[in-house]
Amino acid sequence: MQKIESLDKKEALRYLGYGNNEPDEQVKKILDECEKQITDIAKPAFAYKIFDIEWKDDGIYIPGTTLVFTGESIREHLEGCEKVILMCATSGQEVDRLIRTTQIRGMAKAVIMDALASVSVEYVCNEAERLIRDNVKDYYFTWRFSPGYGDLPIEIQGSFLNVLDAPKTMGVSVTAGDMLTPTKSVTAIIGLSKEPLKAKTRGCISCSMNERCKFRAGGTHCGF
Amino acid sequence: MDFKKLLEKECVILDGGMGTMLQAAGMQLGEIPEVLGFTSPEILYDIHRAYALSGSDIIYANTFGANRHKLKDSEYTVSEVIKKGLANAKEAVKDLGTYVALDVGPIGQLLEPTGTLTFEEAYDIFKEIVVAGRDDADVIVFETMTDLYELKAAVLAAKENSDLPIMCTMTFEENYRTFTGCSVSAMALTMEGLGVDAIGMNCSLGPKEMYPIVEELARWTTLPMIVKPNAGLPDPETNLYNVTAKEFAEYMARLADIGVKIYGGCCGTTPEFIKELKNALEGVKPAINKVVAKSAICTPCNTVVIDRPRIIGERINPTGKKLFKEALKNNDIDYILGKALEQIDAGADILDVNVGLPEINEKDMMVRVVKAIQAITDVPLQLDSTMPEVLEAGLRVYNGKPIVNSVNGEEQIMENILPLVKKYGASVVGLTLDNGGIPKKAEKRFEIAKKIQKHAKEYGISKENVFIDCLTLTASAEQDGVMETLNALKMVKDELGLRTVLGVSNISFGLPNRELINHNFLTMALTYGLDLPIINPNVESMTGAVRSYNLLTGIDKNSVEYIEAYNQANGDIRKNVSGETKQMDIKQAILSGLKGETKRLTEKMLNEGAEALKIVDDMLIPALDVTGAEFEKGKIFLPQLIMSAEAAQAAFEAIKEDMVKKNNAPVSKGKIIIATVKGDIHDIGKNIVKVLLENYGYNVIDLGRDVPYETVVETAIKEDVKLVGLSALMTTTLVSMEKTIELLRKSGHECKVMVGGAVLTPDYALKIGADYYAKDAKESVDIAKKVLG
Repeated sequence: MQKIESLDKKEALRYLGYGNNEPDEQVKKILDECEKQITDIAKPAFAYKIFDIEWKDDGIYIPGTTLVFTGESIREHLEGCEKVILMCATSGQEVDRLIRTTQIRGMAKAVIMDALASVSVEYVCNEAERLIRDNVKDYYFTWRFSPGYGDLPIEIQGSFLNVLDAPKTMGVSVTAGDMLTPTKSVTAIIGLSKEPLKAKTRGCISCSMNERCKFRAGGTHCGF
Repeated sequence: MDFKKLLEKECVILDGGMGTMLQAAGMQLGEIPEVLGFTSPEILYDIHRAYALSGSDIIYANTFGANRHKLKDSEYTVSEVIKKGLANAKEAVKDLGTYVALDVGPIGQLLEPTGTLTFEEAYDIFKEIVVAGRDDADVIVFETMTDLYELKAAVLAAKENSDLPIMCTMTFEENYRTFTGCSVSAMALTMEGLGVDAIGMNCSLGPKEMYPIVEELARWTTLPMIVKPNAGLPDPETNLYNVTAKEFAEYMARLADIGVKIYGGCCGTTPEFIKELKNALEGVKPAINKVVAKSAICTPCNTVVIDRPRIIGERINPTGKKLFKEALKNNDIDYILGKALEQIDAGADILDVNVGLPEINEKDMMVRVVKAIQAITDVPLQLDSTMPEVLEAGLRVYNGKPIVNSVNGEEQIMENILPLVKKYGASVVGLTLDNGGIPKKAEKRFEIAKKIQKHAKEYGISKENVFIDCLTLTASAEQDGVMETLNALKMVKDELGLRTVLGVSNISFGLPNRELINHNFLTMALTYGLDLPIINPNVESMTGAVRSYNLLTGIDKNSVEYIEAYNQANGDIRKNVSGETKQMDIKQAILSGLKGETKRLTEKMLNEGAEALKIVDDMLIPALDVTGAEFEKGKIFLPQLIMSAEAAQAAFEAIKEDMVKKNNAPVSKGKIIIATVKGDIHDIGKNIVKVLLENYGYNVIDLGRDVPYETVVETAIKEDVKLVGLSALMTTTLVSMEKTIELLRKSGHECKVMVGGAVLTPDYALKIGADYYAKDAKESVDIAKKVLG
């Protein structure tokens, strides 16, 4: 995959709790520095495979693999779909180290770096999806649903990565606690359908701010 | 069977892909392939036998992923799977005389610092594999490795638990790096140092793409080289590889020109590929690799060749530094990391690490510091201690090839330390002194250098790895000694051909304007052939002396490095900042988040006789309270809150330095433990909390991330801590939080627990037995005030 060109700083500010507020000059300057550092060292990579799906009572099976998706949320997500894309994307290990080093230099810059690094993996996902769409015409796509959203267990991360051969082909693996490493990595499920899909909003379920969002706490929405 | 004998053949042939063959036989994705040894041994029999009959001299048993981590949900033990895998392979080739390798792949979990698996755990996992397979295998293969650290753990486990020969191959991308950033040179230097029998690369690329990477490898190793590529590159849609067996064999045969000894195939290759390979290599004599060994040390991402002056930073050393000693006593690793980054920014190529202090456990500290430094930088280290056990502990966990500082001409010391240097594949500094002290004359020091070189050679340490320190004496006391040092240095360099190292600053002890003497002595030493000056790189004129030497001697071609270093300095923005802020007081400086200014103002007040505690209570804390309140109201945001906190931190540093100078006890409002719980690796939130708490004068004991329950409890009891803060980001790790609290309560130690993290809610916090829920870093301060005052 190509180098990351630029990052959505508005999105990073959203993670940092700015909402629609403008940052001051100092923060803007740090954002620019962080953007340069991340785009310089990130090694964006992704992998994907397309599978048929089988709907059974105890879950959605992926024939040819050991994967079974359980829970209501994924059923809802894949409603009307006949195939799925399983994908994994990462900004690479160097980004993790950059965040660690920045924390020693100063936490203020580090939180900004961390937020922007989260944006970077989102960028990689978007790019990956764009490239996949070029190869997978004839289908409508759902949005990207990740293990751990709703009631889809995060414990499937390990098998999910193995099916994509991600540990070997892109250096992404899980910890004993089912967390992805490098930390700025994402796994996702995209449903495919020949028929147009009912418009479903991503909503808060997919947001990393989900549980600590000030807007949600106040009963509103960030509008994203 | 004798591996050395096998290597007498011109070309040794390995097998081809295993996964490819298993998938063709109907294996499901995500299944554990090693279990097929029990369920479908006949499939394996056929694959192994087909490879052996196609011409493989060595076949890899189906044991690639047979480790504790990958088999955790399997009904078979690691030992059972390994023994079965080897037995199946042996059975298939029993009448053919083919060698059988215990095949070991990556664990499948990332090691520290990016992952949570510790080096020691990784070692144990590999040890279990080696022990299970050592009686049945002819050779151990570590393959498809991307992390040098993991490979080092694997090789140590193999060396320490078996006598089998070791082959290892890593997986490189087209940028000559593995996923973790490991370079070809770092693999070669580190693995050759550890004493493996053959090295090379497998997987990821086809033979054509691998060619230049093999060329690079040949520049760095004298070991037999292994190449086991894929059948070209896979088509992302069909997953089919793009090189035919015939093409594959043709490309492979070309690698003989670079001197490759051992050939095989990885993903996408089949017995047909091996057969073609065998044919193509018939009668081929690989070139002899005439590479000359280099003096070089490394981390996975950074190889430093000692082919020009390289600066060793000396600042990670407590000698004569009160604050450094304090940091060691308080386990303040961040302080040490700050020193590391400061020196690297100033121009250090290598960092000396000395953490010797009588009151602490130097061995544990060496391990912690080495691991922490290599988590944040890629600058190689020089491990510095007088104690062999400290050096060994550091050598073990070091990721790459380090320098050991030091041995000298004393037999006993060489006997203690040189075997460690050999075992872990390091370079070593030899001081030209012995039981008789430091000889006055250059010739005598030269004799000691010779003796050290001779001993090193006896232990199998080659001359590129011996660096001689001819020792700087103080010019004010022994003026005649100055030139003796430099003459000895020149003799060692010219006549023994060894690299030289020298601590410089001692020269000026007891003289005024020390910097001037140091600077000139350094320049003189460089012209006498000094390779590794040990200096304080933060002193501009010292680093500058090396830079100008490099320019003047034409090492720095077209003055590129020099210009880069000094052009930047001209645009120093700090000058502007201090110009603007003349009228500020500490409070305003903190509110504006100005670190340097806050520190300067604090120092000024202290010098004018202000009381430290008064500055804290009257200026720092009120300023922080203001920013805290504004943050709560949504007037300022997280980065600004932390900037102010960091400005206040700078004030605290000034106060701490002042107190240490006056030998006063440091300001502390009480101790607080903070930790990111077991299983969780997201620690940025915890680190924000740390900065804020420290700024309110609390003594924060930071246990880091992925912290075992017991560590929290033990520390709380040992340090008698009354407030414990726990953080968890993920739903899955909330269980760890609950368990930590449970264990803390069971211990009977009286303390309050506050918890925070993205997925926590106040209700849930109470449910798992916490006393307080902190929704953000600011609230953790409010709680600390409530509990500790």
